[in-house]
Amino acid sequence: MNAIETAGLSKHYPRGAALGRFGPGWRDPILALEEVGLAVRPGEIFGFLGPNGAGKSTCIRLLLGFLHPTAGSARVLGLDTRSDGVAIRARVGYLPGGIALYDAMTGAALLDYLGAFYRRAPVLRARLTDGLELAAADLARPVRDYSRGMRQKLGIVQALQHDPELAILDEPSEGLDPLMQRAFYEILDELRAAGRTVFLSSHILSEVERVCDRVAIVRHGRLVALEEIGALLARRRRTVEMRLDGPPPSLAGVPGVTDVVVVDGHVRCQLEGDIRPFLAAIAGSPVTDLTIEPARLEDAFLEFYTDEGDPVARAAGGPRPGGVEP
Amino acid sequence: MSTVLLRRTIAAGRWRLLAVAAGLATWGFLLPVVYATFGAEIRRIVEGGYLSDLLDALTAIGGGSVFTLDGSIALSFIHPIPIALVAILAIGHPVAALAGERQRGTLEVLLARPISRRRVYGTALAATWVFVITALAANLGGVVAGATLFDVADELRLDRLLVVWANAVLLFTTLGALALAASASFDRVVPALGTVLAFTIASYAVELLGALWPDMAGWRPWSFFHYFQPAEIMAGDASPGDAVVLAGITAAAVAYGLWVFPRRDLAAPS
Repeated sequence: MNAIETAGLSKHYPRGAALGRFGPGWRDPILALEEVGLAVRPGEIFGFLGPNGAGKSTCIRLLLGFLHPTAGSARVLGLDTRSDGVAIRARVGYLPGGIALYDAMTGAALLDYLGAFYRRAPVLRARLTDGLELAAADLARPVRDYSRGMRQKLGIVQALQHDPELAILDEPSEGLDPLMQRAFYEILDELRAAGRTVFLSSHILSEVERVCDRVAIVRHGRLVALEEIGALLARRRRTVEMRLDGPPPSLAGVPGVTDVVVVDGHVRCQLEGDIRPFLAAIAGSPVTDLTIEPARLEDAFLEFYTDEGDPVARAAGGPRPGGVEP
Repeated sequence: MSTVLLRRTIAAGRWRLLAVAAGLATWGFLLPVVYATFGAEIRRIVEGGYLSDLLDALTAIGGGSVFTLDGSIALSFIHPIPIALVAILAIGHPVAALAGERQRGTLEVLLARPISRRRVYGTALAATWVFVITALAANLGGVVAGATLFDVADELRLDRLLVVWANAVLLFTTLGALALAASASFDRVVPALGTVLAFTIASYAVELLGALWPDMAGWRPWSFFHYFQPAEIMAGDASPGDAVVLAGITAAAVAYGLWVFPRRDLAAPS
């Protein structure tokens, strides 16, 4: 059983804006999410990426029952989001993006209050407050006195303190300083080691690369990629530059190599996928310097963000919306 | 209903409740005192004056007056001052409970817990009821204390006073149910509060003007306040039909709220 499973999940809104009402396409609904199909395996940390307005929060809110799907279905921990919302939320911890808290309460009172709704005891609270450096004196202060970073830490603690089977975290490290981000990543590692599932949306790509096992990328409400981080990076085009003190090797026909440019003993090309055929091709060449740009998630991510990366625009190749399986 | 949420809601509203209850207790205390001290004097002035009809109207609101203890008691419940004070809780609390939390973004945090929207709604309604009952009990206590301390307690008819109190609780429960239904329908406080306040003020105005102006008398049944006649109850002329109408409106408002709130899409707060 997958921790999260969606099939053809869609959310459309009626076009409510006054200007849009009478403009072209006024009959068309706004497609916030369109036929998203994904499966999050138990025990993995799953990154959910996309630009602002791509549909990330809509998807999360559908999973938690805040929104009702226009079409399709979603199951969380084997339970239907339409009919089993309360049972789902009993087993899930949720950190909303830009969390709002009850300002008049102290941090400790807030954690007690929010934890009291669960049958599970807040077994992880001490570990979390310790790891995120929320001292007892901090927790005794009213939330209105907290900085943004402290509010975020409190948000993380309230989401995870009852040791949920699945954590859904929307921009979890927003507002955390680098030291606290590192502490938060350690907490995620511990959750993974304990077999917990984490579904997180983030804009910090180094964070996703650091902590996630797999990522899904949404754009214009459609799922445009769902892959292992390693596979995503391996598929990425990297720029290769070589200096030689002899004749350049023949790179024609080498799998993954394109856009070869040779100028005065300097070779530049693009390399995609497995690196070994390329290394075999240059093995006997008089190479004096070789630079292969490291594959970064940021570049892979940006490829999907541009129109060239949009499978709808490309109309062929790459994952299709709603048809992506893990 | 969620006891965790109810406890927290009442704790969060306790200072507002105390302030309103103190105000109502003071108001309830003053009216029997005014009757005991100045009632006969005011009646003599009114009856001997040139503008006796106008003055009579101005000193009698909603069937209440300061000429008798029963009239004073009626006035202690139906005058705009106690109505405004109770409305702080009966309308202000339910509007803040859903639309207010939604506007602040805290409703999302609450609904991420294992609690259904119907239970959140039911708890908000229960908290409103607790606030209304407590505030009106303070008003009742003030009336009894004022009458006792100024030696007019022998004129007090407690059984009728309790019926007035119960009718007041029902009236404000109706307003609270309507406010909660509006609160469940909007994402922001201002439209929810504006709708209910406009409805309440218009309703009060219709009843008041209908009582003073014969041409508007036919409109009175459209006002909620028409179904709360403390002077008639104190005179021994209570109408069970009034309670039935208020209970019916309350039931309809609650049914609407319980239908619409779980079905609403709660998009990310902007």
